[in-house]
Amino acid sequence: MTANHDRPHSDPLLEMEGVSVNFPVKRAYPFSKRRWIQAVTDVSLRISEGETFGIVGESGCGKSTLANAMIGMVRPTAGTVRFQGDELYALKPKAFKQARRNMQMIFQDPFSSLNPRFTVYDIIREPLYIRGGASEAEMKAKVLELLKLVGLDEEDMYRNPSDFSGGQRQRIGIARAIVLNPKFLVCDEPVSGLDVSVHAQIMNLLMEIQESRNLTYVFISHNLAVVKNVCQNVLVMYLGKVMESGTSDALFANPLHPYTKALLSAVLDVDVEASHDRILLKGDTPSPIDPPKGCRFWQRCPFAMVGCETIPAEMVDVENLHQVACHLVSGFSPEHVAAGLDQPVSSLPQTWAD
Amino acid sequence: MSSRNVFLQVARRGGSFLSLVKKLWQHPKGRVGLILVGLLVLAAVLAPILAPYDPYDVTQRAEKGLRPSLQHPLGTTITTGQDIFSMLIYGTRVSLLIGISTGVAIAFLGALMGVMAGYIGGFVDNLIMRIVDVLLVIPTLPLIIVLTGLLGRSYFVIVLVFVLFGWTGLARVIRSLVLVLKNSNYVKAAELAGASRWYVMTKHILPGTSHLIIMNTTLTCAGIMVAEAGLSFLGLGDPTAISWGKMLAEAQGGGALLFGAWWWILAPGAGIFLAVFSFMRIGIVMEEIFNPRMKASSSIYKLFKHLNNDYLDEVFRSMDDEESAEPRDRAGPAVLEGGHE
Amino acid sequence: MSDTVLEVRNLKVAFPAPGGVIRAVEGIDLTTQKGECVALVGESGCGKSVTALSIMKLLRTPPSVSRIDRLELDDRDLTHLTERDMERVRGKDMAMIFQDAMTALNPVMTVGKQIDEVYRRHTKLSRKEAREETVKALELVGVPEARSRADSFPHELSGGMRQRVLIALAFACMPKLIIADEPTTSLDVTIQAQVLDVLKSMQKDHGVSALLITHDLSVVANMADTVYVMYSGKIVERGAVLELFTDPRHPYTEGLLGSVPKLSDDKQAFVQIPDTVPHPMHKPDGCYFHPRCSYATDRCRQHMPRLETLDKGRQVRCWHPLR
Repeated sequence: MTANHDRPHSDPLLEMEGVSVNFPVKRAYPFSKRRWIQAVTDVSLRISEGETFGIVGESGCGKSTLANAMIGMVRPTAGTVRFQGDELYALKPKAFKQARRNMQMIFQDPFSSLNPRFTVYDIIREPLYIRGGASEAEMKAKVLELLKLVGLDEEDMYRNPSDFSGGQRQRIGIARAIVLNPKFLVCDEPVSGLDVSVHAQIMNLLMEIQESRNLTYVFISHNLAVVKNVCQNVLVMYLGKVMESGTSDALFANPLHPYTKALLSAVLDVDVEASHDRILLKGDTPSPIDPPKGCRFWQRCPFAMVGCETIPAEMVDVENLHQVACHLVSGFSPEHVAAGLDQPVSSLPQTWAD
Repeated sequence: MSSRNVFLQVARRGGSFLSLVKKLWQHPKGRVGLILVGLLVLAAVLAPILAPYDPYDVTQRAEKGLRPSLQHPLGTTITTGQDIFSMLIYGTRVSLLIGISTGVAIAFLGALMGVMAGYIGGFVDNLIMRIVDVLLVIPTLPLIIVLTGLLGRSYFVIVLVFVLFGWTGLARVIRSLVLVLKNSNYVKAAELAGASRWYVMTKHILPGTSHLIIMNTTLTCAGIMVAEAGLSFLGLGDPTAISWGKMLAEAQGGGALLFGAWWWILAPGAGIFLAVFSFMRIGIVMEEIFNPRMKASSSIYKLFKHLNNDYLDEVFRSMDDEESAEPRDRAGPAVLEGGHE
Repeated sequence: MSDTVLEVRNLKVAFPAPGGVIRAVEGIDLTTQKGECVALVGESGCGKSVTALSIMKLLRTPPSVSRIDRLELDDRDLTHLTERDMERVRGKDMAMIFQDAMTALNPVMTVGKQIDEVYRRHTKLSRKEAREETVKALELVGVPEARSRADSFPHELSGGMRQRVLIALAFACMPKLIIADEPTTSLDVTIQAQVLDVLKSMQKDHGVSALLITHDLSVVANMADTVYVMYSGKIVERGAVLELFTDPRHPYTEGLLGSVPKLSDDKQAFVQIPDTVPHPMHKPDGCYFHPRCSYATDRCRQHMPRLETLDKGRQVRCWHPLR
């Protein structure tokens, strides 16, 4: 389990233990063997209040499913999710709804996350309206306050989302996400669909809001440079499992898992002068249906050993607040070594230098 | 399931309905459709005033089989001397009444089923879809024949069968759309805020399908009107009502072809055609309005026809740098031909 | 006889629309040398994709209107070429790699057949011979088991594979110029690295010139030799990649480079450029960038600066270039 970068002085806001989420694949014909998409397997984490927790991975790694499990949208097949100490999925419907109101989400695609038939006013006001208990005047005042906070004008209230650019729509989405004063915000690739020059604006806005309201963020992204900048703790996922986790300082200073290293080298830098060894992976991301029994990354790993195919890798502590699940790091047991399982799988070039 | 709430929801959309009518009016093809439908509705409503004669009057034996003239603009029937023009006008009542009422009923039932199947999913979805499969297999025409035999010939039976079997098409289409809509992020956001299923269905899903419902209903009405004409032709409709289909049957039976009474055939045929044509026109134009990508080509073409070449030259000239240091290619700009449509 | 492969002079493209004209491209010049990779960088709406399509002469006259002084490919004048003749040029001398492989590939044809088509159209190879070339091309771009994969349909392949197929399609007849429009934007980061690697080696090994259209500066840093920065239809800076990235002269370039988060950054606020790009129908007076520029003066607000040539192929469009 990941800890915080200083001794936890309070209970974590959100805690997950051994969470797995499996989805059944529709059977080709009845009575054929049931296959499962193992979207998330055995993930544990701890998120403290006020921190920004990063989840890094590419498509198919399960990060979206994990996020959905965190906020009560998807019930885990195994494991527990604890929010503010309570087991989220064991709550009674009323308490569950109330807990969920403390969590909100900002979505990746600014063009499909706002109902095109609603006005901006309707959109931002909606969570308040659903929750009830506020008069029309109160709701209007709140909407105005938030519009100003995210950098939009009063006249924008009665317009449709289609009148706005991607960056502005994302701002509307942010306003909608904080209108109920949630404690916990999941940002699912909030700037990936936007122009580069707008990235910074939105990121700065998110950081400001976090500071002024002491929000807790879960930041999902494939852009490691951004994650390094804003997150205290990071989780690297591949095909549903955690490959490496730790504080962002530790992880970026000393990346150990081959996948993390590949991701880092794949994040091309704008630094033209620096040449670095690029680790190029073989092949494509395999399907999450019936994943390999051993390390899920072994097929593409440039450092794969024979034993990686069948023996799953356990998460081990490497240093304080830094853990990896990799046979290269943890090594094989003596019997396995004797069986020759630590031999590298042949004919795999390790790196390509620039 | 309170249909009243749904009705209120639909009524609230009245404002956008007017704007839709306005957009239809602005489109040239849509305008034609609107005018025609307007005329038909007018004819149906004001039939007693507009019709010069009592269409049921079969006593005018002297007026039998007259060609079109000033007194009888569309002539009279051979068999009974009824004024065809008056019959035509009264015929709009049957066509429109059945077409529209069936269409609207199908809209309600189909949308309801489609939304429930799509949004609730699971057992409900399976159940509804299996019902649809069964209904699609049953042949409606023999059923209507059997039922009219049992219950007597009437439009009620016809409408009933149409509605009970006709909602399936719309339900399927709506269900597909709902499956897409329910995964939208704004639905997720509402659910996160604690929205009930009912809220999501009425505030997000149903409005998202309104375009599809309206378009589909318009086209359904057109189809129903043709079907009704056919059934009336077969004699399955109310024998006391005046219907265009029935007129065609009478014309055939009364020897219109034999005696060359073309007006007797043309009139009801034209009536059916105009009714169906106008509704379809509106439906097609609505599709263009709702799907902006389809609209682009026609309006852009018109824009290009009226383009002023001088204006374009001015625009391009304004793109040049002021007092450019190096002279541009003396040969002058060439128009880049990218392949004309 | 010269080393110039592509020359574009004074390209202008406009889209008449109800309410005005969309000024997509406002008089740009571009050149590529043999074996050079030229990048055209800009954000959405700056006109770079329109530029690429114009060079291939794929823009249709409604809805666009365009003017160009000169379009030359390897000393051959394409400016006045008919559509018929252009069809012989496209695919053979000049090819394009599109962003979205799913829409660029025919979904009902196997990928092998689609590549075969290119060969059979532009060369006199028989069906068997064309298929041999196709398999070779697929192997070259790193598709495993090329011979059997050639019989797959596009939807059966992963995103990265499809993109490789597009590269194979483009390189099939070893054209003189490849235009790649955001070739890796829709891919995952590690796949992106793989595909770019293939593209780069194909380009360098076969001496093919490339025009790379992208908004991703890191892709530019790793692939391009020369960079053109485009803003709202105009070229605002041009230079060799190393110089431009280390020593940008235009405030927009500086802002763009600054706003890309780097791994080497310490935790700090992100550098941002205020506001947004101008609407293509309602552009500001004077320099288009002035509303967002922290160095703007009155001159900038009234007059559009010219594209001036500094030393050694450096060009800037600014009244007050940096440094």
